[in-house]
Amino acid sequence: MASTSRKEFVKGLITTNPVFVLLLGLCPTLAVSTSIDNALGMTLAVLIVLLGANVIIAAIRGFVPSITRIPIFIVIIATLVTVVNLLFNAFLPDLHETLGIYLPLVVVNCIVLGRAEAFASKNPMVRSIADALGMTVGFMIALLMISFVRQLLGTGEMSVFGFHIFSLPVLTEHPLAMFILPPGGFLVLGLLLALLRWKGVLKL
Amino acid sequence: MQIRQTLRNAFPVILLTVVVAICVTILTGVGGITLPRIEAMERQKIETMLSEMFPDMTSYTFEDELYTVYSDGDRIGDAFTAVAKGYGGNINVLVGLQDEETIKGIIVISHTETPGLGSKITEAFFTDQFLSVTVEDVALRRDGGQIDAITGATISSRAVAEAVRTTASEKIDLLRGNE
Repeated sequence: MASTSRKEFVKGLITTNPVFVLLLGLCPTLAVSTSIDNALGMTLAVLIVLLGANVIIAAIRGFVPSITRIPIFIVIIATLVTVVNLLFNAFLPDLHETLGIYLPLVVVNCIVLGRAEAFASKNPMVRSIADALGMTVGFMIALLMISFVRQLLGTGEMSVFGFHIFSLPVLTEHPLAMFILPPGGFLVLGLLLALLRWKGVLKL
Repeated sequence: MQIRQTLRNAFPVILLTVVVAICVTILTGVGGITLPRIEAMERQKIETMLSEMFPDMTSYTFEDELYTVYSDGDRIGDAFTAVAKGYGGNINVLVGLQDEETIKGIIVISHTETPGLGSKITEAFFTDQFLSVTVEDVALRRDGGQIDAITGATISSRAVAEAVRTTASEKIDLLRGNE
C-alpha cells in the first residue's frame, strides 16, 4: 500500500507532470507565472482545492451514479474554490489581490476536474491523496521553473515575498518586458518543454 | 416494484440536490464568517490611505461617495475614488482634494495592470507628480498637462490622469453646488 501511494505521488512530479506532460491547466500556468510569489500563491490554492476535491470524491465514489458524476464533481470543486477565495480574501488579502481573477478560475482548472474524473473517482482515499499531492508538487515545479525565467528576464530582479535574492544589473536597467507579458509565457513554456524533451527528462 | 424503479431513476437527481444543498450551506457559513472581516479590512485600508494623504486627519465622514476629512473639527479636505479604464482592467484610485481646485494627492487602491510596466502607477515617482497640482493640469505632458507618463505604460498613465481629472472636476462641481 505504502509503495503504491509513493508511486502515485512520484508520477505527478515528472512522468505525468500536469503542466509539462499532461499540458493541463495552462491558462493559470501562463497567467500567474509572472513572478515566484504568484506561482507559490497559486500552488497553495491548487493544493487546497485539489486535495479537498480528491478526498471528497474518493470518499463518495462508491454511490455517485455515473450520469450525474460530472455535475456533482463540479459543484464540489466550485464550492471548494469559493471557500478558498473567501478565505484568501479575508486572511491573505495581498495574495488575493495579486492572484486576482485566476483564483476563482481554479474552478475550471482542468487539473482539478481531470484528477477527480480520471483518478479519485476510481481509486481509494490514500492513493487519491497521494495523487493530489504529487500533482500539486508537479504543478509547483512547473510554475516555479516558468516564473523563475520570466521574472528574471522580465524584471531583472529575483526576490521572493519581498526578500531580495539577486539581480542582474543589465536587465534591471533594460528589462525584457515581453517575458512578463502573455507572449513571453508561451515562449518560456514552449522552450522549457523543448529543453526538457531534448535532455530526456520528459518522455512521451 | 414500480415504485422501486422510479426511486432508482430519481436517485441521481436526489443525490445532486443533496450535494448542492450541502454546498450552499457550507458557502453560507463561510461567507458569513469572512464577510465582516473582508468589509472591515476594506474600511481599514481606505482609512489608512486617508490618513496617509491627510496626516492631520482626526476623523472623516463618508457621504455620497465623498470622504470629508476633518482635523479637530475643521474640514481640511475631501477625497473620493476614481475608476480608470487601464490596460488590463479597472484601476481604482483614491484622490484627495486640498481645496476646490487643487489635488492633494493620489493613491492607487487596486489595479490589474501589467506587472513591471503599468503596475508602476502605484510607485511614488508617478503618484508624487499629482501632489498639489491644479485639477486642470492633471494630464500627460503630451496631452498638454503636467504629468510625465511612465515609459512603456502610456495607456495606464493616461488612464489614471484622465480619470483623476474628470472625476475631480465632477466632484468639485458637486461640492460647489452644495455650498
